[in-house]
Amino acid sequence: MRLLVRRLTPNNSPAAIATTMLAAILAAMAIASLLFLDFGANPLSAYYALFHEPFGTLRGFGYAVVKATPLTLIALGTIVACRSGFTYLGFEGCFTLGAAASAWLALATAPGQWAASLSPLLFFPAAVLISFTVGALWSGLTGILRARFGGNEVLISLMSNYVAILIVKYLVAGPMRAPGSLPETDQLPHATWLAFIIPGTRGHAGVLIALAAAFLVWMLLRKLPLGFELIVSGLNPAAARYAGIDVARRTLLAAALSGGLGALAGLTEILGVQHRLMDGISGGVGFTGVIVALLAEMNPIAVLPTALIYGGMTVGADAMQRRAGIPSSITFILQSLIVLFVLASSMLRYYRFNFAALRSKKEAMQA
Amino acid sequence: MIQLSQITKRFPGIIANDAVDLTVRPGEIHALLGENGAGKSTLMQILYGFHAMDSGQILLDGQRVSITSPADAIALGIGMVHQDFMLVPTFTVAENTILGLREGTGAMLNLKRAASRIRELSEQHHLAVDPNAITGTLPVGVQQRVEILKLLYRDARVLILDEPTAVLTAPEKYRLFTVLRGLRAQGRSILIVTHKLHEIMELADRVTVMRDGRNVASVAVEDTSGPELARLMVGRDVNLSVSKLEVPPGPSILSVKRLSVRDHAGQRKLKDISLELHPHEILGIAGVDGNGQSELAQALLGLRTIEGGSILLNGRDITEARVAERRALGLAYVPADRRNVGSVADLSIADNAMLTQPRSNTRHSLFNKTLIRARAQTIITRFGVRGANDETHASKLSGGNLQKVILGREIMSAPKVLVVEQPTRGLDVGAIESIWAELLRERAKGTAILLVSAELEELLNLADRIAVMYEGRIVGVVDPASATAEQLGMMMAGTPLEPTGVSS
Repeated sequence: MRLLVRRLTPNNSPAAIATTMLAAILAAMAIASLLFLDFGANPLSAYYALFHEPFGTLRGFGYAVVKATPLTLIALGTIVACRSGFTYLGFEGCFTLGAAASAWLALATAPGQWAASLSPLLFFPAAVLISFTVGALWSGLTGILRARFGGNEVLISLMSNYVAILIVKYLVAGPMRAPGSLPETDQLPHATWLAFIIPGTRGHAGVLIALAAAFLVWMLLRKLPLGFELIVSGLNPAAARYAGIDVARRTLLAAALSGGLGALAGLTEILGVQHRLMDGISGGVGFTGVIVALLAEMNPIAVLPTALIYGGMTVGADAMQRRAGIPSSITFILQSLIVLFVLASSMLRYYRFNFAALRSKKEAMQA
Repeated sequence: MIQLSQITKRFPGIIANDAVDLTVRPGEIHALLGENGAGKSTLMQILYGFHAMDSGQILLDGQRVSITSPADAIALGIGMVHQDFMLVPTFTVAENTILGLREGTGAMLNLKRAASRIRELSEQHHLAVDPNAITGTLPVGVQQRVEILKLLYRDARVLILDEPTAVLTAPEKYRLFTVLRGLRAQGRSILIVTHKLHEIMELADRVTVMRDGRNVASVAVEDTSGPELARLMVGRDVNLSVSKLEVPPGPSILSVKRLSVRDHAGQRKLKDISLELHPHEILGIAGVDGNGQSELAQALLGLRTIEGGSILLNGRDITEARVAERRALGLAYVPADRRNVGSVADLSIADNAMLTQPRSNTRHSLFNKTLIRARAQTIITRFGVRGANDETHASKLSGGNLQKVILGREIMSAPKVLVVEQPTRGLDVGAIESIWAELLRERAKGTAILLVSAELEELLNLADRIAVMYEGRIVGVVDPASATAEQLGMMMAGTPLEPTGVSS
């Protein structure tokens, strides 16, 4: 009698998912701890530093929330696209363009500009609308190329990242450049900054946008017929067409929604953190967000804690480097290991413990 | 020659094989008959080394053998043709044939020698195949010959064929039977897994019937009969002779005029099809697969671009209408491909039950779970979907149960016109019986039904009129009361009976 018995179907209960994920994270941490030894650091105290900063201090927690906000929005965009059968990887571009769009509107409210009279109450909805629209149009282009002409959305969206990033590079080097040496815009007017809502930290109101988006995406995919149609289109286009669903239109909608969400990530970064537009603002978050979605198993609610832990580890890594002199790149290795182990851990759910075997062995030993 | 004795195999929760005995003699075609889930496939997979048995033994020529992998099976001369072929589509026939074999001493493949041996074998066994053809470009029937050639190349003495006729047209089927009889004459043993009774009666020497994981009978074919086998297989009397209520058909509800459709390659698939369909009527569409029947059904639903002609539903022109509009006007459709078109494998029965009308399951425009589950539960109870609840994934359902879910869903939308394509293909008699009964109940309720089927028995039993299609045209319409299978067969082969259109 073997202790581990193979199941025919995976155990997908929440408890099983949590257990396997925890096991995967612990395994990744155990392996990564070997890396600390090389620096003469005690792995336990290094891990303490890694997690104490973001989750044990208020200031660090604020930073973790700030890091988690764009990750959440991009992960949500990934979920909408992926569940609809649209493999979109253009979030770097959407992020950058969304940031540029909100910076443009914010700068226009500076005294003497055309939107100077726009009240702050109207500014934020307008900025969300404009960012979302720009992102939706940008990803919609990829959507049209796929839905209308059968293009490969993975390639097109990956390439479109470069185009978008170069457009913004041009904007900050030319039309939107502030007088000075660096290619960047003026600082945005204070009235257009997202309020800091966690006292004593840099935690800004962008997190509310992310929370609202998570709720709306959950509603869409779980509660609305439209979301059901998106999911069916993604799982089986032939069945969707048979059922009377306009697959091309749904694909386009999914593309636009996901690009819009990606652009909102750029908005929170520009209005909440950077407060000015510059080159290279995305810093890879458009890909990290996709990883967060994968880790959260494409579940819009699970994205929230996943993004927080992922963002928190980035914050902890910086603290670790400052305090213990351990390169923060170790954290990236750890993060990558966690991703690999968690993705592989779903295999564990095909097994169950055979406690009866354990018991009978014990009885045999006693006898 | 080969003897399986007391084979038992447990899966979590079920006993797939319960002390099964099976003996196959040399030079015999032995049929293994049973409903879906009766344990036939498990038994064959144990014999072929895919599954390990929990207890029991396998004897080959009286010697006890241990088969733990397909490689063991092949080494012992046991070969299997799977229902889904195991061929690399981009390889040539010769490459596929020697795939996995190691012969000769050099590191280089000797494809030429393989090709000439394939030619030899194919001549010897009347399996016409070009060894240099790319496998993926060959028709299904020829691909199956490649699979059989693979086994002969390895000199298999026991050939297992899993549902070999499921994908074949009638002429291909008869060729296969000839080949199998030839192999039998050489003293090879052939094990056919099937649930088609008439094929067993026609081809096999002996038959073993399985039910609920047990061997319920092993008999010589001449000592039994179709009805008796059906009873053994299902465990009760099966009544496939239907009694139809005589209902006078009303005025036409679906009117198709000079409909023309081309496929993606630009080939004309429908040529000037005209037909009228009335309430309380089942119009059968007969024909060899690929003569435009599928295209007709799809065109009616709006899944094909219509090139010419018109479709009127209840007097309304729907030629240009989209699928959703047609459905809203009272069209429903059970497609031939129930796994990939009629259902979504990764979704639950509940989700599949609302696949074609998700928007009717909402309250305040949000999904109402109670409503969705109730609908699924109704279908499960009313149509007798067995061994499943509303959360079971469609991929876990047998073909018959899945078909009941799909048919149930389409019927529950209260259609005026129901288009049904190959409703019982691959199903066992128990499921066929209940699908037929449902179709007749719909007919009695006043639904107009277009029944596309390759099974003549089905058409002769259910239809009020049968239109025969050949190369995209309707070559004739017959009355099933007076028509014979031979007559229909002639027309399906392109011999027109009477030069009339389908209008009554």
